Amino acid sequence: MHKFFNACLVLTALVSAFFLYSLEHSTRGHEREIVKLKNNILEEREQIKVLGAEWSSLTRPDRLQKLAQENLKLKTVSASQFVNEAELAAKVPAEPVQMLTEKGKDPIADILKEMQ
Amino acid sequence: MTDEPIKLAGQNRIRLVAIGFSVAFLAIAIQLANLTIIKGAVSEDDSLALHQPRLPRPDIVDRNGIVVATDIAVASLYADPRKILDVEEAVESITATVPDIDAKTLRTKLTQPGRAFIWLKRQVSPEERDAVYNLGIPGVGYVNERRRVYPLGRLAAHTVGYVDLDSKGIAGIEKFLDDQGALYTASLAEPETQTASPAQISTDTRVQFALADELERAVTKFRAIAAGGIVLDITTGEIVALVSLPDFNPNQEDKKFRKEQANMMTSGVFELGSVIKAITFAMAFDYGVTNLNGKYDARFPLVIGNASISDYHAQRRVLTVPEIFTNSSNIGTAKMALDVGMEGHQEFLRRVGLFDRLTTEVPESAKPLLPKHWSKLATATAAFGHGFAVQPLQGISVIGGLLNDGVMAAPTFLKRDVAEANVLAKRIVKPETSEKMRYLFRLNVTEGTASKADVIGYRVGGKTGTAEKVVNGRYAKDKLLNSFIGAFPMDNPRYAIIVMLDEPKATPETYGFATSGWNAVPTAGKIIERIAPLLGVKPQFTVEDIEKLAKLAKAAKKDG
Repeated sequence: MHKFFNACLVLTALVSAFFLYSLEHSTRGHEREIVKLKNNILEEREQIKVLGAEWSSLTRPDRLQKLAQENLKLKTVSASQFVNEAELAAKVPAEPVQMLTEKGKDPIADILKEMQ
Repeated sequence: MTDEPIKLAGQNRIRLVAIGFSVAFLAIAIQLANLTIIKGAVSEDDSLALHQPRLPRPDIVDRNGIVVATDIAVASLYADPRKILDVEEAVESITATVPDIDAKTLRTKLTQPGRAFIWLKRQVSPEERDAVYNLGIPGVGYVNERRRVYPLGRLAAHTVGYVDLDSKGIAGIEKFLDDQGALYTASLAEPETQTASPAQISTDTRVQFALADELERAVTKFRAIAAGGIVLDITTGEIVALVSLPDFNPNQEDKKFRKEQANMMTSGVFELGSVIKAITFAMAFDYGVTNLNGKYDARFPLVIGNASISDYHAQRRVLTVPEIFTNSSNIGTAKMALDVGMEGHQEFLRRVGLFDRLTTEVPESAKPLLPKHWSKLATATAAFGHGFAVQPLQGISVIGGLLNDGVMAAPTFLKRDVAEANVLAKRIVKPETSEKMRYLFRLNVTEGTASKADVIGYRVGGKTGTAEKVVNGRYAKDKLLNSFIGAFPMDNPRYAIIVMLDEPKATPETYGFATSGWNAVPTAGKIIERIAPLLGVKPQFTVEDIEKLAKLAKAAKKDG
């Protein structure tokens, strides 16, 4: 009786020890994972910052102006080129725009042409 | 069980040991509970304070969220010459990867005996770092550093300022973040993630560029030695753009900037000349000494003691108050100030804050220079801006207040909303006075000295100023400081603009004139034409505007 009881205890001790160690092992694994992910997050954040700075630098107004002057035929917008919403609404064609596009027409270009 | 319980030898001793162990374990358990559960919450704070890392410096973004200043990790390449086996090969591969390292100097550096550490290149890009690292040369490595970068370069440099090598703010908003604004900076920090939300400034990068670009063109065209401009939202006090030329690049390695490169819009004081007349007019209206129907005799120069005040565009007749404004008559304005009187004049200037230094987040600021002794002559001359120097930002802020229903918002370089602005705003004149000022400003553009700023559709109003600079204590006739202060749209002014040109020269196009109406005013017109759509100001046209446009189109066709 005692022997059996002791054997049980030893077995329990072994099983729980195994359980404990495996738990600790997996915890360490998770910890490593956390550190790795944290580092990744930091790296990504850093990358975002660099990209943000780069984006800001590439969309610098002086750079865009230079590129626009070289490659596009655009002029400064004058006040008279702006049109009121009400004025615009009067020129929208009666037929829905989508159907006109399907027919191969370009309704917006037509409006612009008419206004010029 | 009938048997007597067997008494083992030493059972009492075992019991004693068991009790001893129980007490010991209980003590441990209690202490454990005490430390982790009861004291746990408190001790957490203590340990945090000990291990808290330095808070990161917040990024700076413009009012639309565009990054203006940020911290990036950079690597610096170094070498340990003792560990390099083949110097020739190392030099060859390094210079092939990083072209701007000079092969000759590198070779001498690497062959120096006894050196354990040399910098190859400080602050390289991640690509360069990887490329050099992948060369796999023993003794070559990199260390990580942080560096403040300003992706927009010179744009808005005066507002943003810069930091030194230890990331400490030296000028502009950067200095504010470290000094007076330390509380604000701390409020941006998020300690848990060790990040900080960005500080948002009031600058609109696009407006800033339009202002800088047009001012630069004006400097070239009129051969001015310096120029400056501010765009101010008069309803909230936000400084949407501020340019002071010559400017500087905050990314520059050594930060030894010249005195001229300083922010003259806040750290310099200037006699703005006739622009100051607007303040005198508002004062006269507010005290009720005259109104838009008032008349003043401007036939003869005004003599006070042995000084005589005369007009630049002398009309030699009795002028109405609007005529005094549009002709920029010194005599008329001086007479209006004299009607108010010395005490009233000083009281009014104190009320609008012109006796005090205007302070904003940007630490560079200058106190206004006013006449030391107020006399009848001082009042008369200060009325049209002589002996009255002020930082341009303060000038535009006061004029903005006069036009904004008489309520002056405190100028700021940080983004804010109307509710916040209203807390700090101050009524300086009655709404009726503001109404009259709006009328005069608009009139001066439609038929006065500022007609070249009339961008049709945007209802611009403004006042010009041509001040002679003081050289060796005397006014120099040929050294001018020209300015224009205006606002738009005049029916409900939202934005005020100041344009200043320092010593502009006459050109053939200006028919030999160098006064404000020929250079500062058209420059302001061009700026407004570019920024009004960006600021969301809707154009509106009156019948006369449409006629004018048609005429212009006809003239353009003839020329073309």
